[in-house]
Amino acid sequence: MWNFDDIQQKALQEINACKDLDSVEALRVRYLGRKGLLQEIFASLSQATAEEKPLIGKGANQLRASLTEALEATKKRLAAKNLFSTQSLDVSLPGAAPALGHKHVLTQIIDEICQIFVGLGFVIQEGPEMETEFHNFSALNIPIDHPSRDAFDTFYLESKDPQDPKRHLLLRSHTSPGQICIMEKYAPPLAVVIPGKVYRPDAVDASHSFMFHQIEGLLVDEHVRFSDLKGLLTVFCKRFFGEEIIMRFRPHFFPFTEPSAEVDISCYICNGKGCSVCGRKGWLEILGCGMVNPKVFSAVNYPKGKYTGLAFGLGVERMAMLKYGIHDIRIFFENDKRFLNQF
Amino acid sequence: MKISMKWLKDYVSFQLPPEKLAHKLTMAGLEVEKIENVGEDVVLEMEITPNRPDCLNFQGIARELSAVLDKPLKLPKVKKINYPNTKCDIEIVDPKDCCRYVGTVIEPVEVKASSPWIGSRLSALGGRLINNVVDITNFCLLETGQPLHAFDYDKLIGGKILVRRAKQGETIITLDGVERTLDPSVLVIADAQRPVAIAGIMGGQATEVTTQTRRILLESACFDPVLIRKASRLLGLKSDSSYRFERGVDFSAVEAGAARAVSLILTEAGGTLVARRDVNLARGRGQRKSVIVKLADIHALLGAELSAAKCRTILKKLGFQVSADSPGSFKVIAPSSRADIKDPVDVIEEVARIVGYDNLPLTLPLVRAQNVPPQPEYPFANKLRDIFVGQGYSETISYSLLNQDSLEKSRLSSLPVVRVKNPLSLDQEIMRPSMFPSLLGIIRSNIRRGQKDNKIFEIGKIYLGQTERKTFAVMASGDVDRDWRSAKPRAGDFYDLKGAIDQMIARLGLPEAVYEACEDPLFKQGTGAGIRSGRTALGCLGEVDGSLLQEWDIKYRTVFYAQCDFEALYKLADRNVAFKKFSEFPPVTRDISLAVKESVSFQDVKDVILKQGGDLLEDVSFLEEYRGEKIPPGHKGFIFSLVYRSFLKTLTEDDIFRVHGDIAQALSDQLGVALR
Repeated sequence: MWNFDDIQQKALQEINACKDLDSVEALRVRYLGRKGLLQEIFASLSQATAEEKPLIGKGANQLRASLTEALEATKKRLAAKNLFSTQSLDVSLPGAAPALGHKHVLTQIIDEICQIFVGLGFVIQEGPEMETEFHNFSALNIPIDHPSRDAFDTFYLESKDPQDPKRHLLLRSHTSPGQICIMEKYAPPLAVVIPGKVYRPDAVDASHSFMFHQIEGLLVDEHVRFSDLKGLLTVFCKRFFGEEIIMRFRPHFFPFTEPSAEVDISCYICNGKGCSVCGRKGWLEILGCGMVNPKVFSAVNYPKGKYTGLAFGLGVERMAMLKYGIHDIRIFFENDKRFLNQF
Repeated sequence: MKISMKWLKDYVSFQLPPEKLAHKLTMAGLEVEKIENVGEDVVLEMEITPNRPDCLNFQGIARELSAVLDKPLKLPKVKKINYPNTKCDIEIVDPKDCCRYVGTVIEPVEVKASSPWIGSRLSALGGRLINNVVDITNFCLLETGQPLHAFDYDKLIGGKILVRRAKQGETIITLDGVERTLDPSVLVIADAQRPVAIAGIMGGQATEVTTQTRRILLESACFDPVLIRKASRLLGLKSDSSYRFERGVDFSAVEAGAARAVSLILTEAGGTLVARRDVNLARGRGQRKSVIVKLADIHALLGAELSAAKCRTILKKLGFQVSADSPGSFKVIAPSSRADIKDPVDVIEEVARIVGYDNLPLTLPLVRAQNVPPQPEYPFANKLRDIFVGQGYSETISYSLLNQDSLEKSRLSSLPVVRVKNPLSLDQEIMRPSMFPSLLGIIRSNIRRGQKDNKIFEIGKIYLGQTERKTFAVMASGDVDRDWRSAKPRAGDFYDLKGAIDQMIARLGLPEAVYEACEDPLFKQGTGAGIRSGRTALGCLGEVDGSLLQEWDIKYRTVFYAQCDFEALYKLADRNVAFKKFSEFPPVTRDISLAVKESVSFQDVKDVILKQGGDLLEDVSFLEEYRGEKIPPGHKGFIFSLVYRSFLKTLTEDDIFRVHGDIAQALSDQLGVALR
């Protein structure tokens, strides 16, 4: 006679102790397989007595049901565990996405600066790079014998100026001729920013480039004041460099503005104490500005005495160098992937 | 310009520490670049703007400081000199070159070392001491701003001074011991035979004042600034004197400077005046015009209510004569050293400077609505950038100037170009007529640095003859983005770049692009395509020719390039994209596999499908092109996926069967395409 309780208890213990699907399968074969224990039990029925037969039959059926159930449950449990342990994701593997490109850092700086002024009511305009001497110099009150007109300081082109065939066209040496282009075309009120490339025959080194970018600003109306210039550029500096920036307006000279000023910000490296970046001065010069010289207004035939204006110009590379701590201007134009990808 | 604090105190008294002094000067427009301790003295290195040559000397700086600090200015008293009646021989050839020349002959002088008070002042500024006479000329230049020169009068042949242009090939050995060859663009001081000084720049060795010198001729003159600047550049020779002449010296200081130097020489080296001549050819020069300034204009321009008294005090301290014109306005006459003061705004700036810009109020401007439209290309360029950045291309900015060689190597030398007359080097001689060399140069330098996978674009100008035109160019080399889930990287090809262009065209709302094979020397044969949108030619696209790459020293690489005219893109871009309704009924997708003759293009097949599919055909996508055993020779296999959908009803099997069959029939009839 079979001791079903013992068999069941032992089998269930073994099944529960299984650590993997293979051992579950081995147990299934041992107990329920074609040559397994249950087959043996059923085979023993033929030799059993009439009283024994129903007991064995019932016990065997119960045993089969409970073992089948236990095996299935264990299989399920192990299968679930299995999924987790061998097919789970290594979530630390890199994600896969098409790489995005990068806008050039100068484009980003130009856009950032221009958008600050757009937010203050200015519009963005662009002017030509190949300019006349009139636009680049004369109209800006730069006299005919001024050193900046020398071939040492301005690139001249072989092409002649169609309006003045004795003179050659040139590559604008600043974005200020953009002021003239706008004023020749439109009457005040006007408020524009003019970003663009400018050219000067400077030998290339860490701080000089024969091509660089400037942004020109111009506001002309009937009652524009020097205090407005101060206010406008203070707002700009705070938005661009941060609220806590310390700045100062220092008298300077530009032929096309009067009074003229340069704006310095407190050196971001040394906080104004003086270091190698600011040349021990504690201040970094960031832009030139002033009130439009009435001679410029007369060059564009604005009525005498009617308008006043403010103008400013800043170097984009310099702003980018200050903002990102870049020490060599040449890197902007090398377009090394390792540089482009940083911004 | 270097300023000694100790010396400066001769002219204005102050008790400020150097940093405070530097700050005050800087904030008045006289920027102090550096502060240096020299012995017991402190030397300030100043950066003087070109409009202020009057500040290239101690008296000028002292005058500014006296206004800033509101302290009296103390100028040295020059005793009245009794000039002899005897005249020396001085002649000026062209009054345009030299408008005034004052020559004074003194004898007998004792040439020796300078007195300590002069010597110490000069050496604090790093000056080299020569002898008392020469040192006095340098001292007076620094004190008054008037350049002076002393000749050994006995060595002037014929005792003559002639201010003339140099003759072609004439030579002079200057005081620095260098022999210099001159030409008629250079103004010289000559004696009866030869040049003895380069006017305004440097004296000659032959007439140098030495300890043997007994008689001197002291020169105080006014030369044309442009002439001096050009000669200085031509000869590569600069001096304290040329620096000041270039910027313009005070016409009236010619005489005052001479007087100061004469009186010092008489004291320090002895002798008496024996001859003098003042050749003054400057008619009307040195006359000072008055400027009328309204107080209301000062207030309006500065946005500050400065009192009349304050303005008057400042101007007077700066040496201006100020008188009342009418109520509320001043009549102002600037000192002769201030040639920069011409208009009321110039006077207003003086007031603002001395008050201090930082002490002026701060307001926000009124920015009114205006007529100037924003330039629409600006946001459009940003949109274009975003489209390519989103596809993994990075923006570059490269030089607009390039060399002839790069054009030739790019087979672009037939394009019309603009040349720079005065290039710094031949590498920057030509305004680029194409973006291609710029981008290929960037790809090459990246490859050389081990970065072989590159996707770049640039929006910039090209210059064709007289016109500058915005253009857009893209270049790619190497593999497409790697994905660790697929084992092998795939090399980027024509279709990758074409895909990027297609995306651009779709995103900008341009009419669908058509690509037509074209031959272009830039491209490898059979890979070039013209890009057309509607009727407008936009640009081209292709694989860069291998032998061209070899000339650029780019080996074993393929490079793809496309360019589009920015303005054409801008003009075609649809800024009024209209909403298109879509169907509410379900789609049915059927693939179609075709055997197509090699001579028939994809576009031909697609056109027939689209035409025959009509309204029911919603979308055609291309699944595969293949060649192989299963395709008859001379044929290629195309598989398309066609999506059918109706706006009116759910399509039945019958509907699909009919239209799909019609398409197959049309392909067979029109192009001889067989269904597979």
